[in-house]
Amino acid sequence: MQIQEHAAEPASEAFNAGEVIIEHVANSGLDHPLIHLPTIAGIDFSVTKHVFMLWVVATLVFLMVTITVRRYLRQDRLVPSGFMNALETIVEFIRDAVARPSVGDKWVNTWLPLLLTLFLFILTANMIGLIPVFETLGLLDRWVLHSGEESFIARVQHGGSTATSNFNVTAALAIISFVAVIVAGSKAHGAVQHWKNLVPHGVSPFLAVALIPIEILGMLVRPFALTMRLAANMTGGHIAILAILSFVFIFTEMAGQFVGMGIGLAFSVPLAVGISALEIIVVLVQAYVFTLLTAVFIGMAIHTHH
Amino acid sequence: MEFLHYMGAGIGLGLAVIGAGLGIGRLAAGLAEGIARQPSAAAQITGAVNLPLFLLEGVAILAEVFCLLIVLLR
Repeated sequence: MQIQEHAAEPASEAFNAGEVIIEHVANSGLDHPLIHLPTIAGIDFSVTKHVFMLWVVATLVFLMVTITVRRYLRQDRLVPSGFMNALETIVEFIRDAVARPSVGDKWVNTWLPLLLTLFLFILTANMIGLIPVFETLGLLDRWVLHSGEESFIARVQHGGSTATSNFNVTAALAIISFVAVIVAGSKAHGAVQHWKNLVPHGVSPFLAVALIPIEILGMLVRPFALTMRLAANMTGGHIAILAILSFVFIFTEMAGQFVGMGIGLAFSVPLAVGISALEIIVVLVQAYVFTLLTAVFIGMAIHTHH
Repeated sequence: MEFLHYMGAGIGLGLAVIGAGLGIGRLAAGLAEGIARQPSAAAQITGAVNLPLFLLEGVAILAEVFCLLIVLLR
């Protein structure tokens, strides 16, 4: 991805690692939208890369899950086959290791669909960011297709392809879990009792007054932490890989192309491969963490131990 | 005095990493000891360790994001 980016610049311009990295991680700007849409009430509704990736992920998850489950339901025997095996493992894992211990036996079936949706969506969105589809498309476009500056293929190369590395996307996901916590508390205890549960029972009124702001702050910090954790983890790995790969170009500028190639072969590419392998684990763990924390917060709203 | 921003961000990043490293190290040590003492409860111990581990990681990540913001929004 660096090669194509570097080659696209004029030769006289110096290589700026920071700019290239940000270009590959951030959302595509509004000056290069994928689909132009009008501005309504001051908000530009043009579809940027991350919105596009969200659509792709949503379609992918929906099609994969529905097709697999429908095919499984249509067959005669109960033994799952193919992708259904993986899906069943995921569902059982989320149900038995995430939902049941934190939410409790009574509410498992109420909250399992939400947790599964969150897990599958985040996992797929994270995973797609690891596959360099658009970089390959860019290479093809540059050497084979020549589609021009303003074509869809040329526009789709601006910005990174991990939708979950955008703080807005993860903030939306965190708001979903925030609302789910409130709904869970209200369903279990009633709308008024849920808010009363914020302050422990049997506390003196003076202490309760002091506790209320702390509890409200804690309630708001949780979705904020969820937002930051997912987005920063997804951005961080990509930045690390790109920074290590950009050593090749920095050393090429400093000491000629053979030194750059040597650094690339001996240092950058092996290390980038290692970090990519680490990223596969990070991708799984972050999807799991988001689901687990949502389940734990829902469980805390339901089982208020006081 | 332009470089002070970068210095602050760098020092903050280092401190965050030191703190998170110490915390995760203690958690991992506790986990290993617990499993060594009671191998049959390995799954339960791991489950109990996971949550504070992720909360700790979240705090470290927050610190790193704020260090990045210091640099970007100076």
